[in-house]
Amino acid sequence: MAFYEENPRNISKADIVVAIPSFNEAETIGSVAEQAGAGLVEFFGDLQGVLINCDNHSTDGTKDAFLKAAGEVPKIYLSTPEDQRGKGNNLRNLFEKVRELEAKTVVVIEADVKNLAPYWIRNLGQPIVKGAGYVCPLYVRHKYEGTLTSSLVYPLTRCLYGRRVRQPDAGDFGFRGELVNQFLDSPVWTESIEHFGVDIWMTTVALNARMPIYQSFMGSPKIHRVKDPYAQLSVLFRQIVSAMFDLMAVYSDFWRMVKWSKPTALFGMDAQEVATPVPVEINMNKLHERFLKGFDDHFALWEAQFDQTHVNKLQEIRSLGLQHFSFPGQTWARILFEAFKAYSAMQGEQRANLIDSLLPLYLGKVLSFVKKTERMSLQQAEEYVENECMVFEENKPYLVKIME
Amino acid sequence: MPKILVVDDEEHIRLLYSEELKEAGYEVITADSGYKLLERIEEEKPDLVILDIKMVDYNGLDLLQDIRNQYYDLPVILSTAYDTFKEDMKSIAADFYVVKSFDLTELKKKIAMALETRLP
Repeated sequence: MAFYEENPRNISKADIVVAIPSFNEAETIGSVAEQAGAGLVEFFGDLQGVLINCDNHSTDGTKDAFLKAAGEVPKIYLSTPEDQRGKGNNLRNLFEKVRELEAKTVVVIEADVKNLAPYWIRNLGQPIVKGAGYVCPLYVRHKYEGTLTSSLVYPLTRCLYGRRVRQPDAGDFGFRGELVNQFLDSPVWTESIEHFGVDIWMTTVALNARMPIYQSFMGSPKIHRVKDPYAQLSVLFRQIVSAMFDLMAVYSDFWRMVKWSKPTALFGMDAQEVATPVPVEINMNKLHERFLKGFDDHFALWEAQFDQTHVNKLQEIRSLGLQHFSFPGQTWARILFEAFKAYSAMQGEQRANLIDSLLPLYLGKVLSFVKKTERMSLQQAEEYVENECMVFEENKPYLVKIME
Repeated sequence: MPKILVVDDEEHIRLLYSEELKEAGYEVITADSGYKLLERIEEEKPDLVILDIKMVDYNGLDLLQDIRNQYYDLPVILSTAYDTFKEDMKSIAADFYVVKSFDLTELKKKIAMALETRLP
């Protein structure tokens, strides 16, 4: 149960829940709650809906901003204790509340979204009402937005679990209420999952539960509070990759069976207007510098853990220089597979060091992607990502072999 | 023997696919349009559908959405004369696509891959 709860209207049952996880989001949570409530009324008016703010004991007035937001939909406020941070912990409180309310449909929306519209609630909730198990959004994204997803999270998740979920780590999603039992009983729950790793953890649990997954086309980009992508990158990278590796260890029986991949069902394809994403600028020199610095910092570890063929390939990539820089998909996929094998044999700090050593390689992979796609349209760049995913799938037998 | 449903309004394509895929060891049934396609799938229970994108009276991409919504795991391979369909996001609900050709090597490869995705 949540450490703290306010349920002003004593709601004890609900059909559909819209949840808003937060930590110090007083500035935006009021408008998110209003838009989400409007979505519940407009598209699910015949169902008993409730808005839940699952908070990390914010100190900036988030609770009041949420509870005072306009709208007729009842609200429940939940919080972790003061010293317990992380979206994952907020969502655990949500799962328990959903089970108690016996809600059939749950939609989660992040508290800092600035362009939330009521139809988002429809797009993430309606497929569940119609029988889907889990819904991931398909936001309109510029080719250089979400490079961690495009270069690592999507291809790896797809080749492992066999579903083409393009944005599997998006912070907003919908799921069938009964899935909370799978989430609460999951054998994997780590510090990384308590924080940034929770989104990919949820999608992976749903994939392994063999729930029908839908992708819902949102018709717009997701605009949220501007954050410095480099400031949080190392923490984000470590948490997401370690969450993925921890999940790989637990679900190995499943991913060993999976060959190639399948599409998901789609929703929202009738969008009349599709917004154009804001271009994302990438500093290629900075990426190249960080890739090269990786050799100074981590080469000994790479030599110890990766097959000599791939170590040689990395040295060859380094020798190319910025102008001719290229990081082949096969090398990237096999290095990630070998990193998982090494991670499986390590503990604690060793694991953290290993994952930190992958960060400059990831930045090199992004650089290669940017160079390959800089003259491409968004659609052409998307096809390039799909081809890279096929490279992961083609190389999956190598993963199975080295893990035997 | 896996059963393949070929949906195409061009007779020579249906004949070509039928002959070659039968020779490759598949059972093949055909439909010349999207008319009552879901009922046909329900009756025949094919293991895989090869779907023409542009038929005279039917948009293959719309049919694809109907199939995917009702038969979540049924493999569907889009068959097309041009690859401009990729501009339409609905196409990502297909397992694979092939550009129509008299050489069916690529199609056979995609069929084998799609059938391998079935889990026990």
